[in-house]
Amino acid sequence: MGSNQEPFEFHATFAHLEEGLSILHKSVDALRDATGRRFGDRPLMLFETALAEIGGNVLTHGRPPGTKRPIEFDLRCDDGTVVALLSDSGPPAHAHLSNQMPSHTSEAGRGIAMARRLLDELGYERDGEVNRWRLVKKL
Amino acid sequence: MALEVLTRQTDNGVSVIAPTGRLDVAGAPALKDAISEVVKDGPPRVVIDMGGVSFVDSTGLGSVISALKQIRGGQGELRLAAPNQQVRVVLELTTLDRVFPYYATVEEALTGF
Repeated sequence: MGSNQEPFEFHATFAHLEEGLSILHKSVDALRDATGRRFGDRPLMLFETALAEIGGNVLTHGRPPGTKRPIEFDLRCDDGTVVALLSDSGPPAHAHLSNQMPSHTSEAGRGIAMARRLLDELGYERDGEVNRWRLVKKL
Repeated sequence: MALEVLTRQTDNGVSVIAPTGRLDVAGAPALKDAISEVVKDGPPRVVIDMGGVSFVDSTGLGSVISALKQIRGGQGELRLAAPNQQVRVVLELTTLDRVFPYYATVEEALTGF
């Protein structure tokens, strides 16, 4: 993606697991089309894998019972760097940020460790009652 | 797209489980249900045909690990066949390719099984 291209931007809100996951994947499809990348482009595939991990966590844990606020999602790609922002109303996630890859027999607990390896940057901050995630990868 | 799972049996008694769609946090329960059905009928030999899986996440991978544990616990054997590039990358990233040696095709996985 050359610097003379317009930045790619995508925004969505969602509240349900399957709906949200579909939107996340569709946003990557749209980015692929906009940047002329082929299906199977490795950097974009790695980014999509990380996005689905953090997105899956946000959709699973980010809307406790009674929550009215939807998940907010923004995707932007400018000058070859893609940035995704996700915000949710789940409990603070600090304790999970340094999760290491678990043993081969573990059935869970790989998501954040995978995302860290797949991205150039995985950011997280607690903003009042909101979790804000920032995923960055140079394509 | 919700995960669809078809199960068939070969002439020599190998169960071939073929999920289609995204094997992710939303789809993983369907694969777990299919494995549970196969395991309850005795020592299973199972091939999971990943050819229809477009995308896998860590929860989907967890369902395959769960399958492996159930099947080995029942004195059976599990083989993975036909993973796409994204599935192979995730297996390698998590070093689970050491646990799940995979076969390029279902036919290869069935050979000598």
